[in-house]
Amino acid sequence: MTYNAARALELLQKGSGYPNATFREGQEVAIRHIVEGRGRLLVVQKTGWGKSFVYFIATKLLREAGNGPALLISPLLALMRNQIAAAERMGVRAATINSDNTDDWAQVEDKLMRGEIDILLISPERLANERFRAQVLSVIAAQISMLVIDEAHCISDWGHDFRPHYRLLERIVKSLPTNVRLLATTATANDRVMNDLAEVLGPNLGVSRGDLNRTSLTLQTISLPSQAERLAWLAQQLAVLQGHGIIYTLTVRDADQVADWLKTRGFNVEAYTSETGDRREELEQALLTNKVKALVATTALGMGYDKPDLSFVIHYQMPGSVVAYYQQVGRAGRALDSAYGILLSGQEEIDIADWFIRSAFPTREEVAEVLGALEDAADGLSIPELMSRVNLPKGRIDKTIALLSLEAPAPVAKLGTKWQLTVAKLSEAFWERAERLTELRREEHRQMQDYVGLPFGEHMGYLIRALDGDASLVTKPALPQLPTDVNQALVGEAITFLRRSSLSIEPRKIWPAGGMPRYGVKGAILSNHRPQPGKALCIWGDAGWGGMVRQGKLQEQRFSDDLVAACTKMLREWNPQPEPTWVTCVPSLRHPELVPDVAKRLADALGLPFHMVITKLRDTPEQRTMANSTQQARNLDGSLVRNGQPIPFGPVLLVDDMVDSRWTLTVATWLLRSNGSGDVFPVTLSLKGQDE
Amino acid sequence: MIRALSPNTQAILLLTAPLIAGRAPVSQDLLSPSELVSLARKLNKIQHKLSDLLSPDGAELMRACQSGIDAARLQRLMGRGFLLSQVIERWQARSIWVVSLADSEYPRRLKEHLPNTAPPVLYCCGDISLLASGGLAVVGTRNVDDTLIAYASAVGQLTAEAGFNLVSGGAKGIDKAVMHGALEAGGTVTAVLADGLERSTMNRDHRNLILDGRLLLISPYDPSVGINAVNTVQRNKVIYALADASLIVNSDLNKGGTWAGAVEQLDSEKLAPVYVRSTGRPTPGLDALLSKGAVPWPNPKDANELKAVLMTSGPTQVMSHQLGLTLFSGEGQSGKASISTLSPEITPQLEEPVEPKLEPAPTTVDSPESVAVPTTTAAVAPSTPADALFAVARELMVSMLKVPMKDIEIAMALNISNAQARAWLQRLIEEGSIEKQRNRAIYVSRNDMLFGQLWQPIAQFPDCEDNK
Repeated sequence: MTYNAARALELLQKGSGYPNATFREGQEVAIRHIVEGRGRLLVVQKTGWGKSFVYFIATKLLREAGNGPALLISPLLALMRNQIAAAERMGVRAATINSDNTDDWAQVEDKLMRGEIDILLISPERLANERFRAQVLSVIAAQISMLVIDEAHCISDWGHDFRPHYRLLERIVKSLPTNVRLLATTATANDRVMNDLAEVLGPNLGVSRGDLNRTSLTLQTISLPSQAERLAWLAQQLAVLQGHGIIYTLTVRDADQVADWLKTRGFNVEAYTSETGDRREELEQALLTNKVKALVATTALGMGYDKPDLSFVIHYQMPGSVVAYYQQVGRAGRALDSAYGILLSGQEEIDIADWFIRSAFPTREEVAEVLGALEDAADGLSIPELMSRVNLPKGRIDKTIALLSLEAPAPVAKLGTKWQLTVAKLSEAFWERAERLTELRREEHRQMQDYVGLPFGEHMGYLIRALDGDASLVTKPALPQLPTDVNQALVGEAITFLRRSSLSIEPRKIWPAGGMPRYGVKGAILSNHRPQPGKALCIWGDAGWGGMVRQGKLQEQRFSDDLVAACTKMLREWNPQPEPTWVTCVPSLRHPELVPDVAKRLADALGLPFHMVITKLRDTPEQRTMANSTQQARNLDGSLVRNGQPIPFGPVLLVDDMVDSRWTLTVATWLLRSNGSGDVFPVTLSLKGQDE
Repeated sequence: MIRALSPNTQAILLLTAPLIAGRAPVSQDLLSPSELVSLARKLNKIQHKLSDLLSPDGAELMRACQSGIDAARLQRLMGRGFLLSQVIERWQARSIWVVSLADSEYPRRLKEHLPNTAPPVLYCCGDISLLASGGLAVVGTRNVDDTLIAYASAVGQLTAEAGFNLVSGGAKGIDKAVMHGALEAGGTVTAVLADGLERSTMNRDHRNLILDGRLLLISPYDPSVGINAVNTVQRNKVIYALADASLIVNSDLNKGGTWAGAVEQLDSEKLAPVYVRSTGRPTPGLDALLSKGAVPWPNPKDANELKAVLMTSGPTQVMSHQLGLTLFSGEGQSGKASISTLSPEITPQLEEPVEPKLEPAPTTVDSPESVAVPTTTAAVAPSTPADALFAVARELMVSMLKVPMKDIEIAMALNISNAQARAWLQRLIEEGSIEKQRNRAIYVSRNDMLFGQLWQPIAQFPDCEDNK
């Protein structure tokens, strides 16, 4: 197809909104290469270079010549809204189908069918979705003229962000005939990633690669072991830092906590995580238009977010690799003369990183358990059926099934609602790859630890060398170092803050699959037999009270008075209604005194009577050794009973030291309520996540 | 391990395969096997291969080769590249391999036996080397009594004991019995399925045998297609063509897939002997096949006797290539060696297809074998009742018109009005499934159309479970 240079420039000027705009170096060459069908193209350019102009202008030119629509695969579509707006300015009809816009799906599908979409943007996970492939994609699959793979480094095993579904994309690309135009783009690719991409994308791959150096960025690292110290540092520095920025955390909970802390200190900040949901767009806009000082975000705010005048990016914890870090910090100062990129490093980040690394792949035991269960079931198993046969957390079962099904050939495949064994055995290459990637992650982590230890002024050069770029152009930091000391009074307030938060415990509403035969219950739990929403003081082992709970349970076999006081304070603030008139607790045969002791002290502090009314019949294995909810429910069936004491009528606080699956609280509440008690309010010292 | 498809195989899939990926209708543009051969021949004349259609100047080539096929149609077919990558990914994940005419693994005997009508693509699951192992084909009907089941099972067992591969259809009745006999005795089986592979590969009985390398499932039909959706005649041709010799256990007279496949083999191919059962109750079908040149089965009693039968009747496993080539080039090919047997690339065949012979019209049409009525609505859901009715009518009529018939005969056989018969016949002519003989009110199936055109009505695909 012939390339129309005048039309391309016209589209650029419309799309950018600048009537005199001209192409950046490499942009027009890339568009021309794609439009003329001269082969596959990989564009490696830093964020802000204008990769989206390349694919939107190419799409428009192809469509104007009568070709079919383009398909763009990108990991985070929620963040492409401003690009879509630019596309619309040049008359490119762009649409997305993702988990955030289910209401629009029907309309988008209709438009696709009528040929009224020029480019469809989807995530790799959506591409793997059976329903989407059969119902939506099949309608246009026979006409797609160009495939765009955004964040293409994810295709490579060496790419920083291991996303299982890019495996599928890799295979689709490998079987894609050469007459489908293919454009792959990324902002970061070291030589190893480039080699991998060249292998997947084919021998005749054209490459457009720009330089990595960001002269405007002043990079600095600061070690502050405790979270309280880092919270204090943030509160001090945010008051003096110019402009607006992003604070990155490793987990959703940290993002929420940091944002809450900064709000209590009077800063206009918001948390932005995978759980932000509908408010995402509003928050992105708030930062774009400088309505907030900063967003406290996980990597959910990542690839594709484009604010040229971002003046700082601060990491609350150390990310797992140089590639990931460079992507995130590189958002700062793109259109500014100077900006800060500050990495705070703390003690918990090693545990978090280690957890991410260890849990990325299923273990041999997990795979053997899942495959063994499927082997025994000739007609296959659904996920709930697997949960009742395999003693693994649901998250681990899901992960195991997902990774196995993304192998090719895959040892399991889904027929209808059930997973079945296929005629392929899991190859040893699966484990070799898992080991290789795990080792790589550890190596990348060590590389980041080295980065933390660098003296001021050497950071940019280190990053560019690690990314196989040209470090000779690196200049001295434009801005002075930020102070590294923290105000001790502020640290004290941060400690108090960390201990202040509590967590809610939502009641279960349905008995486990298959019911509890010994209790004779199944299906929905009657609403007057369910607990009220409850409270947990902390997360097991966290920076607030979590450490003290762990110490009480594992070392001292007694929970401290501080914890009782904290619980009392939490209950006073919570003030559950109707007000409880007595206190009871969950029994244990293994630690018969631990929980009754703390429950009684809590009752005393509240001035309420304490009654032990439930006992345990048999010594069941500890709930924590039961790995998923169905197994935990079965483990309990018939084990808790009334101890013969009368059950008072009034509302009651039900105390336990730890809550995980909530089945113990659910069964105890059912016993209490069906024997005449009033509303039941569960209270626990700590909450434990499923996968920890 | 993923084996990448060659560009030629990609091109063949794009041009001929339905590439079923969901609810989208199957392309109306698919090339028939003979159109594919003709296109390859035209490209060959200008020193190009099918894979060159994928190059940047592919569009130019489509015009330049003067294939007689509309360039826009070729363009639409070749434009299905992304769709192709989708279905290949799906097949690969399910351990389904594709072998095309352009691949060296494509069974040579199939190319030789069916020079213009060989399925361009075979979908396989299992040990691919079984494709070349020939052996004995055993066929028969679905509804048979226990005596014939026992007979078939014994033949299967003997085949295995003699160390020969068994080729069969995987259907109920004779097929299952003979397969069971062979597998029980430790033998290998090539099952040529009339429905898509996707579900069959997950069947637990199949799974372990496939993993052991003893069962190869193949099909000329898209892996996603449901049972009853396709014409079994094409499948039966493949069964006969893959084996060194075939034994027909029973057959209806003048109808059914067993009959049609056997007659075709006897009439036009004669490359491998066709035996018919010679013990037990004779049937009109078998008698008629005997009169057409089939040979009474010599009833070998042990492995050695069966070896003797198969060694004398056709190419052995070891020598099949050379013998196949000799037979092929010696049999009316004017001494010109077939290039296709020397090169893995698809190359033009040198002869036009043999004219179909005229047979007396059958008086009744009610065979459950060749006329597969979609009864399981869960598997196949044509878009409207009218489409469903026409789908059935198409299958019936295309099958009946393997022998030329008048429109009145069709109307009588189907007990419909002459006007309705003519309306349907006209529709079949327009879509290219049948043709009208010049200056006469006689219609006949286009034998090269068995593959492509039968797909349109079954393009609906059952909704897949969302695994979001």
